[in-house]
Amino acid sequence: MSGTTYSDRIVSPVSMASLGYAPLPNRRDEAFDSNGKIVPEWDGLFESIGRHGIGILDEWDAVATRISRERGLAYRPVSVESETDGGWSLDPLPWLISSEKWKPLESGISQRTRLYEALLKDAYGEQRMLSEKLIPAEILLANNGFVRSLHNLTPGGDRVGLGMSAFDIARDTVGNPFVVNDRFDSPFGLGLALENRTVINKVLPRLFRRCGVEQIGQFFIDWFKFLVSQAPGGKEDPLVVILDPSSQNEDSEASFLANYCGVLRVHPADLTVRGGEVWIKTLKGLVPVDVIWKLMSGKRIDALESEIRGGGGISGIFEVMRMGRVSLASHPGSEVLQSPGFYPYLPKLCRAFLDEELELSPVATWWCGTSKALSHVTANLSKMVIKSVGHHHDFQTQYGSRLSSAELERLQERIKAHPESFVGQEELRISTVPTVRADGVVPRGAVLRAFSFPDEEKGAVVMPGGLARVSSADGTVVSTRSEGESKDVWISTGRQPDGFSIASVLERSHPAVPDIVPSQKGENLFWSGRYAERAHAASRFASRVLSCRDQGFSNDDQFEVAHEDFLLEALFEVFDSEKLLDGEMDQDKRLEMVLVNPDCPAGIAYNLNRFHYATQATRESWSPASIRAIESAGQLWQKVSKSIDPELNVSSDLFELQLNLSGFLGLNLDSMTRDEGWALLDAGRRIERGKIITSLLIFLLEGNFEEDMKSLLNESVLFILDSARTYQRRYQDTPQTAYTVQLLLSEVDYPRSIRHVIDRLVDICEKIPDPSQHAHPRAMLAAASRDLTLLNERIEMEIDAGIFLDSELLVEMRKLRDFFINLSDQITVSYFSHTVES
Amino acid sequence: MTKEVCYQIRHLTAYEYSGRIDLCQSIAHLRPLLDGSQKTIEHSVEVYPKPHFQTERQDYWDNGTLYFEVQGSHQSLKVIATSKVIKRIADPVVPRSGTAWDDLSARLKMGDSDENGLYFANFLLPTLSCPRLAEIDEFLAPSLQPGRDSMELVSEIMTRINTEFDYVPGATDTTTPVVTLLENKQGVCQDFAHVMIVALRRIGIPVRYVSGYLETLPPPGVAKLQGSDATHAWVEAYSRATGWVGFDPTNNIIPAHQHIKIGHGRDYFDLQPLKGTFVGNGSQRLTVEVDVERC
Repeated sequence: MSGTTYSDRIVSPVSMASLGYAPLPNRRDEAFDSNGKIVPEWDGLFESIGRHGIGILDEWDAVATRISRERGLAYRPVSVESETDGGWSLDPLPWLISSEKWKPLESGISQRTRLYEALLKDAYGEQRMLSEKLIPAEILLANNGFVRSLHNLTPGGDRVGLGMSAFDIARDTVGNPFVVNDRFDSPFGLGLALENRTVINKVLPRLFRRCGVEQIGQFFIDWFKFLVSQAPGGKEDPLVVILDPSSQNEDSEASFLANYCGVLRVHPADLTVRGGEVWIKTLKGLVPVDVIWKLMSGKRIDALESEIRGGGGISGIFEVMRMGRVSLASHPGSEVLQSPGFYPYLPKLCRAFLDEELELSPVATWWCGTSKALSHVTANLSKMVIKSVGHHHDFQTQYGSRLSSAELERLQERIKAHPESFVGQEELRISTVPTVRADGVVPRGAVLRAFSFPDEEKGAVVMPGGLARVSSADGTVVSTRSEGESKDVWISTGRQPDGFSIASVLERSHPAVPDIVPSQKGENLFWSGRYAERAHAASRFASRVLSCRDQGFSNDDQFEVAHEDFLLEALFEVFDSEKLLDGEMDQDKRLEMVLVNPDCPAGIAYNLNRFHYATQATRESWSPASIRAIESAGQLWQKVSKSIDPELNVSSDLFELQLNLSGFLGLNLDSMTRDEGWALLDAGRRIERGKIITSLLIFLLEGNFEEDMKSLLNESVLFILDSARTYQRRYQDTPQTAYTVQLLLSEVDYPRSIRHVIDRLVDICEKIPDPSQHAHPRAMLAAASRDLTLLNERIEMEIDAGIFLDSELLVEMRKLRDFFINLSDQITVSYFSHTVES
Repeated sequence: MTKEVCYQIRHLTAYEYSGRIDLCQSIAHLRPLLDGSQKTIEHSVEVYPKPHFQTERQDYWDNGTLYFEVQGSHQSLKVIATSKVIKRIADPVVPRSGTAWDDLSARLKMGDSDENGLYFANFLLPTLSCPRLAEIDEFLAPSLQPGRDSMELVSEIMTRINTEFDYVPGATDTTTPVVTLLENKQGVCQDFAHVMIVALRRIGIPVRYVSGYLETLPPPGVAKLQGSDATHAWVEAYSRATGWVGFDPTNNIIPAHQHIKIGHGRDYFDLQPLKGTFVGNGSQRLTVEVDVERC
């Protein structure tokens, strides 16, 4: 469809008044000029609102929220462990910037990228900035982001420069742009920008085309090329990985970027330095890494050389960099350049290093290390933003305008004690953009985060667009990291869009993520399966206890209490858990422990937390529907845990939880590629199931129960394993141990029988590669399968002959349980830990 | 009078682990430095079990830095550094800078550098283990007479640390903060060096941490015990007139031919003799033996 379809129709754009929009006094608005007239590039958007009526805003907002949630990637989910629901929400109205306004910004960003690239090389090389006294020495040397051990990093030196860089740009009351922050060491937000574009594209597809918005797909193609070009020795087809420091959700944008750019996501623990090279521990053994796109703080990245003790990271990686055998984007010492201490000297530095005038000014900044600047800052403290220049770990940025006179005085003392540690910056009254709120469209301060990276030919590649972050209710302060509201940024050309849309990049020139499963990911998938199965079993136990209580199947209270005790005992045995229950006599308290105590290994909360952890660490493996199931389970149980009903009326919650968990397990059968990762997930789940079934059978065979109790416990075990109906159909009899055992051991094609579990494991394990050392589990499984056939034949004979003996079978059952435990150990040794035999 | 002494040094570091270690990466600063007063004519480092990989370089401070990896499961790690060093040095005199410590115009600036091009900012600014401490002022106060020669002041601070602090092995470890040292007034050589660093940086005198060895002499008639010498630490302070001058607060002497220098940095953590990370379980037990013999 072409854009002209609309211009035929005469539509008057919604006006400021009918929108109910009131710009803030003394602030510049991006969409309306001082006379309340729409700024031309925003026309299309307001026409669209005018055509549909203001009610459309609620609809856009709802659609954006729904799509964001469905995608569930860049937006942080609720964690089971923490109570905060931090995360980024997305405003449906983009920030429109015309090509004419963008051009000088783009040029300024490009220059700034070249300048900082030169500064980075100088800081870790010749240090002209110090020898020519272009900056005070403290700005560089007192900054704890200056990593001395990376000085003169050669011979890979030429390749070690800036990587993805971010510049926060705000406009003041007259419309001049200023840089308020520079980020070089793993800037946040690139994934969020990409995600926002994807979502808004779906919310406003026609408007997007009509405004001729610049596509950002090419930027990511170029970025991937950049990463490839960084490979040591110009290696062709290098292995590029994205290093995500958190295995949890904090940087969930990492998994989105990984998928989008076709690079493998790894965590520090996946990487190891051996023999002067960096390797990924994978299911197939060690695989060498060439380029690391790091989302991790550079000064923490080498645990051996980091000045920060206990910082984690990859021991020895700097040594490999020095030998030029791995490239990191960006340079791990680039944090030092983020210091606002450079700002007052940037024009001079720009002339010295680029022989150019600085195009894009930083916000007016005074370094308090000179007496003149110090007196200016202290005299104007209430109008200043005070920031640390990088050697005070405990100093939070302070806004003079928000401080009481007593607080100002304290701040002044603090600055005067160590003036060289601080800068004062003019507090900008940043421009506002229209933002949708429940009560209408309101002006909110906004900062544009622009992204760029260096390029040998062009100097720099700048993303046409970026991430806009919107201030909180009153005004000027924009959240820097953990949460807040964001917007898509549209560079509007007014002509038909060309270039690669982000969707087309995924479809066309998108490189495939290398077919490598890191060991740790394999291990997390394996445990996702195990914990899902465990949480499910624990919740079935709880359901059984509650339904027995509800039904009141016996007149004998003692009998009911004893049954419940037996069940809980069995539960703790199944999970080899310590008998936490011993001290607690109250039935309700004991059940509550199983339901919500996060420290009880036989409990639901404990296993759900671990399930959550393992699935978060492997987030990119899951389909949106699986993620939804994972998150629903987590949210549901968080809610239940927070306000556990004293009557323990949680049966319906338990039922819902079981639906979520079975949903999760079932969905993955359908939606995951059947690679080794999937195989490990399924193997984990089957092994856990095998262990649970055999443990319950051991419990039945071992216990010295009276007939009534035995029958009831049989029924309970069948209930817990979801097998009561199958049993009824097959035996049409009250539950007896012999039949329970037979059903759960021998039934072919019945997913809850050991026969099926082992048959499946035999199939699944063929998907798992041969390990580089140690044995493949197939031999072990073949033996177990043969043994099971013999055992089942024997059981059938015994049942027919009426000589079924619990005690003899118990020995076999223990062997079977040990088999599952040993199989799990074997998989762990063969695939997850990569120890070299000496 | 200039004297020449030749030393044979053997420095053993041994770790015993309670569990199995599968992989270890280490950095060692064990090669004695080459400077105007000392020359290393032989140096080797043996590691057991044998490293799968090793490489040597000069670090930011120009200290010899050895990196090595040991793969494969092991329960102990032994590092033996053997060095032959010739020391040629005149008898020390108490130095004078010719400028008063409180003469602000004579102060060395952050952005000025020493003869090797290292900026004084490195040796004037606080570090994680030698932070800026107001608590040091009380200790400094009695020595801060106006107009006093800055090197003479440094010398007195060395003497005062030596007399006011007790040498108590085991009372501290490498992570004991300077503020605790000031309270308890006890420690070992590296602690005294750190106290002196905090004190001198407080009054704007560039100072650096020195790691090395000290030759100890047994009482007359007593045979020297094997392994009885020590790794040692002291400091060097700078003035334009003198260049870098050593001060040993542990022994209250200006280091001369009995002090063999490995290298220098801002504090202990810039040149730990041996540091490493390992993959595996268990706790560790450390043994260090040093023999400094004349040859």
